[in-house]
Amino acid sequence: MPSEQDLSADVVIVGSGVAGSSIANELARAGISVIVLEAGPRVDRQHFVENFRNLENKPSYQGPFPAVPWARHPPNQITPNEYLHTTGPDAEAYQQVYLRMMGGTTWHWAGCAWRYLPSDFELKTRYGQGRDWALKYDDLEPFYYQAEVMMGVCGPDPSVEDLGSPRKQPYPMDALPISYAAQQFRKLIGEKTPYRVVHEPQARNTRPYDSRPTCEGHNNCMPICPIGAMYNGSYSVYHAEAAGAKFVPNAVVYRIERDSANKRVTAVHYYDPDKGSHRVTGKYFVIAAHCIETAKLMLFSADEQSPDGIANSSGHVGRNMMDHTGVQVSFISGDKALWPGRGPLETNVIDNFRDGDWRNERGAYLVHMVDDNQVDLATQLAIAKGYVGRELEEQIRYLASHTVRLFSHNEGLADPDNRLTLSKTNKDMLGIPHPEVYYKLPEYTVKSCEHTRGLFRDLIGLMHGTDEEWTPGYFPQDHPAGSTIMGTDPKDSVVDGFCRTHDHENLFIASSSVFSSVGTGNITLTVAALALRVADTLKKELAHA
Amino acid sequence: MAADRPCFPTSIHRSTPNAIRLNRALRMSRRDALLGALGAAAVVTGSRQGMAATAGQDDTGVPLFMALSQRLTDRDTLDPRIGNALYAGIINAVPERRDQIQKLHDFMTGGSFASARALASAAEHQDPVFKDVIQDIMTGWYRGLADHKVVVYRSALMFDITKDAIYPKTYATGGPFYWTQTPPEVAVPTGEPALSPSKLVIEPT
Repeated sequence: MPSEQDLSADVVIVGSGVAGSSIANELARAGISVIVLEAGPRVDRQHFVENFRNLENKPSYQGPFPAVPWARHPPNQITPNEYLHTTGPDAEAYQQVYLRMMGGTTWHWAGCAWRYLPSDFELKTRYGQGRDWALKYDDLEPFYYQAEVMMGVCGPDPSVEDLGSPRKQPYPMDALPISYAAQQFRKLIGEKTPYRVVHEPQARNTRPYDSRPTCEGHNNCMPICPIGAMYNGSYSVYHAEAAGAKFVPNAVVYRIERDSANKRVTAVHYYDPDKGSHRVTGKYFVIAAHCIETAKLMLFSADEQSPDGIANSSGHVGRNMMDHTGVQVSFISGDKALWPGRGPLETNVIDNFRDGDWRNERGAYLVHMVDDNQVDLATQLAIAKGYVGRELEEQIRYLASHTVRLFSHNEGLADPDNRLTLSKTNKDMLGIPHPEVYYKLPEYTVKSCEHTRGLFRDLIGLMHGTDEEWTPGYFPQDHPAGSTIMGTDPKDSVVDGFCRTHDHENLFIASSSVFSSVGTGNITLTVAALALRVADTLKKELAHA
Repeated sequence: MAADRPCFPTSIHRSTPNAIRLNRALRMSRRDALLGALGAAAVVTGSRQGMAATAGQDDTGVPLFMALSQRLTDRDTLDPRIGNALYAGIINAVPERRDQIQKLHDFMTGGSFASARALASAAEHQDPVFKDVIQDIMTGWYRGLADHKVVVYRSALMFDITKDAIYPKTYATGGPFYWTQTPPEVAVPTGEPALSPSKLVIEPT
């Protein structure tokens, strides 16, 4: 463990996921000293791959990633949960999972690297719903591209397939060729509906890139890509360390210290696993600890100067919790064999419902035809139906080749009543409370989900589907956002358009927690773009310091 | 205030899921400690049962299990190493399965069953518990699971019978963009189930 006098840097970052590690990389490459404090351990891919192979419940994305007791994360999406305690009428719809370890939650993501639409940043202005961001799409466009280059994003040629987010540069890599199953789905939608299926932009290599191999189609992007063809935060950690950034694992930040005027952060304090306390000083501080843990830390840091928590003069820290709520159905197609599960997990999307005038009354959504290997599910189903022997084998082949799974990302909306607080009844081994979230689905989202169900029923009919299995209720898509919301007015928001807290001039937040709306695309690319914009701001300010 | 106890090893992130499950099973809380001798006795008794239930290479149940497995999979050959491990897992999870497998084997040899379906259908009619035994055997061979543990993954029969089309996750070897190629067509099955249907219970994630 380093001594206290070593623990000082120009910039101190809390969290080593995509946001924290990419900021560290940018700053370190610019010659700025950086310390990154990661609550969880340093980990490696191969253990997780073996954990997956030995996991009975293969669809459990958290399964291969056990938490350490000093940095717990939700073990699963089951309500009630051992760590993330959700309450309210739609508690189960907010049972998010995420990871606390070096590299962050992108250890298990599907690599979907969407830019938000320009309208997503202006939801209030354009549609009278929710809130506007304190920045425009054009402000973020250069950083979107920087993030795409950093991650290695493949995507379609915009002159052939315009995804609605204007680009000044082509994607760093050509679009991923979609699977036979996705080709058939795309053809069906194109011929039989007014809609379209587009190539999903993905942080996945379609050629060797950044010393990582081309995707081999292991169909295991979630929970763990076995070969690193898909970007995850660990690669930004490695690059940042090579550039001189210092990463401290097992460092659980529990306090944010400010000066006597309560205007500048002077240090953060962390516990090691033995609850030894350490103080880390710096000129600038960035909290990049995931939407839920960021808000938790800021609330737990409450003291006499800030009795409601850090950067919380607005009272909005922990409020406005959003997500992409999901609707999901599986069914057996009556058409030709598709054999989903050959290639990457998520490659194609119906994007017609990402934007439209109807957003003044119901939320947007996008639809994935999930390209997931269905062999194990088919086997479970065939055994449950009572098949044995030769007939069982016929059933497995048929069900595995004809099962179709659709799911959606339905747009949430900022509602201050959807709120994260500190659990009054559960603490971790360090005495830090678990997070608790009250959640009630916005009517805006419910209407969106109803529309999706109608679309899914139409698609099932088109594919002559049978044996529909609808996932009950609403389920979380693990894209939490909003807990330190962005805005121009310090009275009702936590950070400004540069992700700087209104209350503390040298404290920034790099996380989906700053999102003012959640759109429909997966959140990670926007998190990375915002983080790189924070890095740009810090570089400029430190250069002039 | 319920505080979590630091009862995991610090290297738990390197543990396997099975080891984690074992760790959880062995977690000792203060309440457990208060149970004292009763708890200790249960552990000892449990471990003896576990040892007694574990199949060895010379376990007389293994050949019976293999013979049953061949009939119930309609296959002439099955890997005896996998069979040994599956049998051990099945009887460890439910010790009564040892006798039930013996009885099901007796039932098979006492009759003439030309197919898995014929045996399974008649067996369930004879004794409903045979359905559970048969489904344990099917789950073992086809999914590679026994006693809620992975005995084999890519060697599970479900992947053998689909290997012309698809790879087990994390074991793809098809070359660049293999997934764009047309996979084999599959005819609508005509066979009937042998056993009464069960509710499919998907483990929550």
